[in-house]
Amino acid sequence: MQAKSLLLAGGALLVATTGVQASGFQVGLSGQKNVGMGGTGTGLYLDQAAQFYNPGAFVFVAYNSVQGGLNMAVPRISFRGDGGGPQETLQNKNVFPFNGYAGYSISDKFKVGVGVYTPFGSELHYAQGWTGRYTLTDINLRSVFGQLTASYAITPKLGIGAGLVVLALGDVDLQRDIPIQGQNGAVAHAQLTGKAEHKVGYNVGIMFKPSDKFSIGASYRSAIDARISSGDVTVSNVPGSVASSFTAKNFSATLPLPAVYSLGVGVRPTEQLTLALDANLVGWSRYQSLDFTYSGGVLGGSTSSSSVRNYKDALALRLGGQYKVSDKFTVRAGGFYDFSCVRDGYVTPETPDAERVGLTAGFTYQVSEHFGIDGSFLFEDFAKRSQSQADLLANGTTDRVAGTYKTVISVPGIGVHYKF
Amino acid sequence: MTTFSLLAARAARPALALLGLSVGLAGCQADIDAPSASPGPLDFTSYVAVGNSLTAGYSDGGLYNEAQATSYPALLAQQFGATGKGPASFVQPAFSAGKKDGSGYIQLRTVNGALAPTQPTAANNYLGELLAATGNKLLSGENQLEAYSGTQPDNLGVPGISVLSSVSALTGGQAPYGLLNPFYERLLTQAERPAKDYVTYIGQKTPTFFTCWMGNNDVLAYATAGGVVSLLNPFGGLTDTTRFGSGYRAILGTISKNGTVKGAVANIPAVANIPYFRTVTVAAVAAAFKAANAASPGVFIQTSSTATPVRLATSADLLTLTAQAVVATGAGSLPTNPLPNQYVLDADEQAAVLARTTQLNNIIAKTALRFKVPVVDMNTFFTSVGNTGVVANGVNNTTTFASGNIFSLDGVHPTPRGYALVANEWIRVINGYYGSTIQPVNPTNYRAVLFP
Repeated sequence: MQAKSLLLAGGALLVATTGVQASGFQVGLSGQKNVGMGGTGTGLYLDQAAQFYNPGAFVFVAYNSVQGGLNMAVPRISFRGDGGGPQETLQNKNVFPFNGYAGYSISDKFKVGVGVYTPFGSELHYAQGWTGRYTLTDINLRSVFGQLTASYAITPKLGIGAGLVVLALGDVDLQRDIPIQGQNGAVAHAQLTGKAEHKVGYNVGIMFKPSDKFSIGASYRSAIDARISSGDVTVSNVPGSVASSFTAKNFSATLPLPAVYSLGVGVRPTEQLTLALDANLVGWSRYQSLDFTYSGGVLGGSTSSSSVRNYKDALALRLGGQYKVSDKFTVRAGGFYDFSCVRDGYVTPETPDAERVGLTAGFTYQVSEHFGIDGSFLFEDFAKRSQSQADLLANGTTDRVAGTYKTVISVPGIGVHYKF
Repeated sequence: MTTFSLLAARAARPALALLGLSVGLAGCQADIDAPSASPGPLDFTSYVAVGNSLTAGYSDGGLYNEAQATSYPALLAQQFGATGKGPASFVQPAFSAGKKDGSGYIQLRTVNGALAPTQPTAANNYLGELLAATGNKLLSGENQLEAYSGTQPDNLGVPGISVLSSVSALTGGQAPYGLLNPFYERLLTQAERPAKDYVTYIGQKTPTFFTCWMGNNDVLAYATAGGVVSLLNPFGGLTDTTRFGSGYRAILGTISKNGTVKGAVANIPAVANIPYFRTVTVAAVAAAFKAANAASPGVFIQTSSTATPVRLATSADLLTLTAQAVVATGAGSLPTNPLPNQYVLDADEQAAVLARTTQLNNIIAKTALRFKVPVVDMNTFFTSVGNTGVVANGVNNTTTFASGNIFSLDGVHPTPRGYALVANEWIRVINGYYGSTIQPVNPTNYRAVLFP
């Protein structure tokens, strides 16, 4: 009888909200010395990481070396739902952003380098059965970028440079529960995994240093669209009677990674002391929505889903300094203030973004003429951020969870460099 | 400038870590203060819930332990408890463990490739449910249920009870409810059954706080029977306003000890909005008939009208959820085989139900004022839920049958998820009236319909 099929006429509603994905997930850990100085670097020429921060300054790094750094990001996110209930947290899992560079001066005027770094990424695993389980349970977004750089000193005071940037590796793993429960009590679950296509971008920079006491730089890093054209859809615990609404095999999605405009100055009032000031403008406004297209079937009875992001461009202000205590030992400190790219009422669990303050410290111990160790520590304190269900209704963003987020992140890091 | 002092305090951590003392990292979890849960002037030491099936936690066409455990009074008691003002325990009349499925309940089964709500019957081995039927029948013909032997419960919800059937005098003592309703019968002793009416029964409690949600069955019994009143059932019609007013005042006066005990009451939702009347539509049935026979002119229904006892249904007529099984046999396809009257709530009957609901809600509002308690406007709440649904934690809950999450498989009573939303509406109104800050429950922690 046809009337029976009416029973599930509303089935499309079941997963009208496949809005799981990521952003606001810039990782500012692309050079260990820079990390210790509040993430400054556009107006500096500290080491081979200048390829990332300002390829125009790279030529002024007057030595050849290889360097590598590894960080351990320890996120601590607390959440309390709008409707009360206990505080919820993450299953604590640490992530390890890294960076590595080599730079070689062909002449006083010309320098080339290679680099590898992880400027975007996010890994969060919310506690089992948490309030927002139907919006997101797990995200693991990883990216590795490679860069080839050339930098040229037009005069001893003016350098320019450019890098060819490649999204070498990118993968995503998104999971959430589906609000359908079987008679055995099991809640359905969806997992989307995929690898990003290789994409090419660039960065360019310029530095002007009228004296050894002062330098000013500007750089630009292009946007890259991370595209997953054929990711895998895996569902589990879907009751047999509704399995026909969850047949999708593959998905495609595009995640826009923003352009970054940077301006920075460096000041060296004495031989020992360096001070730096940076401003970054991150072009998050191109991230307006997260759209998935499903193939090989449907997910939640639909062949696509769209979730509003409506990000805005975000500014970060950075301040840092280093003091050379002795020939072997240098200490660093810094801080920054990051404005949030996520508007009020648009916060998603994959990026519980908020305005944040960072405090950093670092050191270099030059073990020998060739070999040195760079240590850094970063502590980020996010502003507590709340959104009510009424906010979500008003914005049409009810595919996320109402409540209050509070995040702190600690990131110890260690690097080594070898000069030759 | 507390922000700055916090930052200063935290600034110490990086320095420590640089010295290798990173042991402090795990302690960095920032806490978000819990919202206050204050009882205000209220005392929940003895919370008592008066009502019908909705209060009992009836779901999927039955009363069974699992659904009873998430009745809205049980959820309220749990949230009241979080204020520190009790109750230490909240007693519900559960069935014994070996008969935990009580009166039995409807489950979804896949039949011929389609989902079908299925009643437990002897033929399907009662779907494996552990029923509490004793094998005896009551005067009403209903199955007697295992007697409840504990202390008088705090959840006094009795499925099926109406205001009219709560006060024996309203029917001249001619319809002893303790002998008619198995859910009431099981709560009473042998001696009490012929004589003790519900208003007397609830008067035995001495609450410090109460909720009362009565009156639904004074319109619902008539509506769900398609406006057909069985001569055998003295409580199957639309209760008249005079007797409703008298009965409701007796109930509220009794449980509030004449307005000296604080509490809250809820009114009657609009019956025609429930999935019981919104799932099997005239248009869908007509389309099915047309698919089977291209010449089919539509759906023939029997009505109460003597002028046109059989006519073609229009979109203004509502068919009951139970009509589905009858339609499947071909009823309604021909004027000689119309869909029987009890499966149709026609436009006239809907108007009568709506008008009476409004009148009874006015009586509830007046009586609540008299006994100084707030009214939880469930009528407005369910109308709004029907129009827009309720989104919570990324999940859209609507009044759509089965997949909408709010209504259980009988199309009338909520799921545990639905009862959680109902509990939150009580909490919202109680907080607003008394200035308490009882915290709501998280609806997504409670299940909706389970699928095979």
